[in-house]
Amino acid sequence: MSAPKEFEVVGKRLNRLDGEGKVTGAAVYASDFTLPGMLHGKILRSPHAHARIVRIDTSAARKMPGVRAVVTGASQKLNRFGNFIKDFEVFANERVYHVGQPVAGIAADSEYAAEQALRAIEVEYAELPAVFDVMEALDKAAPLVHPDWQSLKAAPIIVREGNRCSRTVIKVGDVEEGFRNSYRVYEHVFRTSPVHAGYTEPRVAVAQWTASDQATVWCNTQLLFDTQSTLAEIFGIPPSHIRVIVPGIGGGFGGKLRLGMEHYAMALARAAKRPVRVMSSSEEELTAALFRQPATIELKTGVDRDGRILAKEGRIVVDAGACSGSGPLVASTGTMILAGPYRLPNANLEGISVYTNNHPNGSIRAPSGPMPNFATESQMDMIAEDLGLDPLELRLRNILREGDIAVNGQKMTAVGLEECLDKAATAIGWDLRKPGPNRGKGLACGWWMTSRGSSGSYLKLMQDGTLTMMVGVVEMGTGALTGAAQVVAEEMGMKLTDINVVSADSLTTPYDFGSQGSRTMFAVANASREAARDLLEKMRTRAAKALGTDEQALVMRDKAFWSDEKKITFAEIAAQANTAGGGLIAEATYIAPAVEHDASRVQNHFSPAWPSPSFHVHATDLSVDEVLGEVTINRYVVAQDVGYAINPTYLEGQLEGGAVQGVGQALSEEIIIANGHVKNGNLTDYKMPTAMDVPKIEVILVTHPSVAGPYGAKGVGEPPTIQPPAAVANAVAAACGKRIMHLPITAEKILLG
Amino acid sequence: MTTMHELNLTVNGEEWQLAVKGAETLLEVLRKHLTLTGAKSNCLEGECGVCAVLVNGRVVNSCILIAAQCNGAQITTVEGLASGETMHALQTAFLNRGAVQCGYCIPGMIMTAAGYLKENPAPTEEEIREGLCGTLCRCTGYTKIVEAVQEAAQTMGAK
Repeated sequence: MSAPKEFEVVGKRLNRLDGEGKVTGAAVYASDFTLPGMLHGKILRSPHAHARIVRIDTSAARKMPGVRAVVTGASQKLNRFGNFIKDFEVFANERVYHVGQPVAGIAADSEYAAEQALRAIEVEYAELPAVFDVMEALDKAAPLVHPDWQSLKAAPIIVREGNRCSRTVIKVGDVEEGFRNSYRVYEHVFRTSPVHAGYTEPRVAVAQWTASDQATVWCNTQLLFDTQSTLAEIFGIPPSHIRVIVPGIGGGFGGKLRLGMEHYAMALARAAKRPVRVMSSSEEELTAALFRQPATIELKTGVDRDGRILAKEGRIVVDAGACSGSGPLVASTGTMILAGPYRLPNANLEGISVYTNNHPNGSIRAPSGPMPNFATESQMDMIAEDLGLDPLELRLRNILREGDIAVNGQKMTAVGLEECLDKAATAIGWDLRKPGPNRGKGLACGWWMTSRGSSGSYLKLMQDGTLTMMVGVVEMGTGALTGAAQVVAEEMGMKLTDINVVSADSLTTPYDFGSQGSRTMFAVANASREAARDLLEKMRTRAAKALGTDEQALVMRDKAFWSDEKKITFAEIAAQANTAGGGLIAEATYIAPAVEHDASRVQNHFSPAWPSPSFHVHATDLSVDEVLGEVTINRYVVAQDVGYAINPTYLEGQLEGGAVQGVGQALSEEIIIANGHVKNGNLTDYKMPTAMDVPKIEVILVTHPSVAGPYGAKGVGEPPTIQPPAAVANAVAAACGKRIMHLPITAEKILLG
Repeated sequence: MTTMHELNLTVNGEEWQLAVKGAETLLEVLRKHLTLTGAKSNCLEGECGVCAVLVNGRVVNSCILIAAQCNGAQITTVEGLASGETMHALQTAFLNRGAVQCGYCIPGMIMTAAGYLKENPAPTEEEIREGLCGTLCRCTGYTKIVEAVQEAAQTMGAK
């Protein structure tokens, strides 16, 4: 291989374009945004997991001081919505089916006035039987969460039956034959708990109707166009009549993919004929946001004497909650994680999502990653221990390598997994797996995809010779748009600071699938790079004409085209074009090429082939307090095959932050729910890692370039949250011999388990 | 009728005379009365630290401090940290070290660090982690934030 080419802008540790406003306090976030005459909205939520609404009386609330509008399910015709099944209602109509379900909304002069008035709404409920356990919900005798499930509109890929809201299968070879030929067969069940995305800015929306059928919403969604089309569906107006703007967003991590407060703000603003702001309280975040689904994972794996996997049977059962939300997608993609990045001659893997009367869940960073990865990677260590093999060696005997065929029939390319394993193991000092009493090391590996979906980019040459890039994604903080701007600057021979980024306005920026799926920078940079090449061609044509020379004779340098000693600057080209040529603009769109797979192996799969797959290994060295059961992480190493690092600084930031988020799910984070009621709805009892709870995260960038990625980059944002629970569980087992099979790995479980 | 309290404050060097309600917090006064939105709003129970400001030089979660208790106090928010056009060493270090992602916790994190470095100008990595542990950041995993505070402490110490 030749040495990597040096670039001027790409590959450099340059400061993010939106950084200065963020350190000086000048940056405006959605929660900072206000409008003149704006009212404040609050939501009344169901105290019951399943009940019939007998009566709602809002007359007293309407008379409370400062109240401007009260909305219930009966007062506005609002359509049902949902990403795969239309099972969400904005405000409950005849029934509530989970605790926290919105029943009414109030807009008032202040948040305080709205809160006071909520208490004056009288609701009479008649309780109905509810079901909270996924396995019970699958029983034919269980109460149906949606007795009308057959009449709910659903995407064709969804296969439903009563409370089961989806089913996906991957089948290869003959698992029974594989088990018969196995030296040992291992069967285990693992469980995970719901966790919150943990963004520090609560979900918020300000809505204003600008005509009887037109509205603008300022909010902190990750998905402009999905929000726009969902709101259009709910309110029964064309999508183009709804303008969605994200002034700034304080974290998302998947928790802001689907509607947050936008629909409530719009309904209240329509009723009040005034702009209305609705912001989720901290308690509402921890009791009524879209959590990562809890899951039950059953795994049966057969191996030969050398530890080579001969057969794997597995099922992930995802608790979708009372509305399916992302449950079907999470269960479906979960089957690929059940397989893991391993060669499987025989496999039968199933993913199902199930309705319960628990709170509906969403898509948190690597939505189906950590739960099945915790199961498969824990089991790999259990197999290694039983066979007397080093867990690293067991993985090396089974991992996918260049040219291997994965479980879905996809031929693997650019596979950096072995290098990740080697480097992570070396970095953590794998040779000494038990450095002292109650201290041990563990590792876990995994794979993930770079999601597809379209991106567009508009470029405009400005009269000062700089360039404006308009894109329809939201800069969540990942640095994706700084990275995409670096790619554009490289193409244009500009400095990064010559690129002005305009984003996140559904009216003015091009369509984009949105900030999700580890694909933002990947797709936006590819589209913008294409647009830059087009713009450059147009500029070159003008320059040649102006200098009276051939296009081929021009040299681009220092934001100018040169022909011998004569030059024309980008600013001069722009000025000429603006005054006499109609200006200079270019546009391009991008979608990642489809990847081949074996369709006969998959049934009802949402992501049957993985574009630009990434590979990752986490390794940790930790201590377990013998008396208290507390875990202290001494060291934590992330090795990830990122393809190429467009900006190493922000790439490291993704891996560092993702690992710590995953450590939270591993050790301390859990939305504790009993009979549908959240028991720890505050940040004192919902324990996210602080700076004291984690060490420095040591990052190793492995680069096996993706053919499709910009400069070879792969998607990077989601993967680092996948492996921490398994890596930590394996290290805990190495440290103290306790194998914890139910997340989170609390001190109680270590001491009592 | 709500009782109003007279409140005299110096915020980022500017003097203010305000009338506030008894239950209003310092965060509400900063964000609503003075439209200084640098201090952020999240948990409103003193757990997450995104609202941190300096009150008479000490780090305070402004979301749980009753504004009326601050009469006569000197308040510094992230908007008042720079000296004229020159950013504070912490702001520069956070920017250059890549310690900023979504940025929502960053005003609170920087003010927490500013207050802590007054008490302990040359902290170890462990001390920095302890000093910052009242402010949550979900994006960064803290690695680059800790490095930024170390760098800023060195810059400030060298002056």
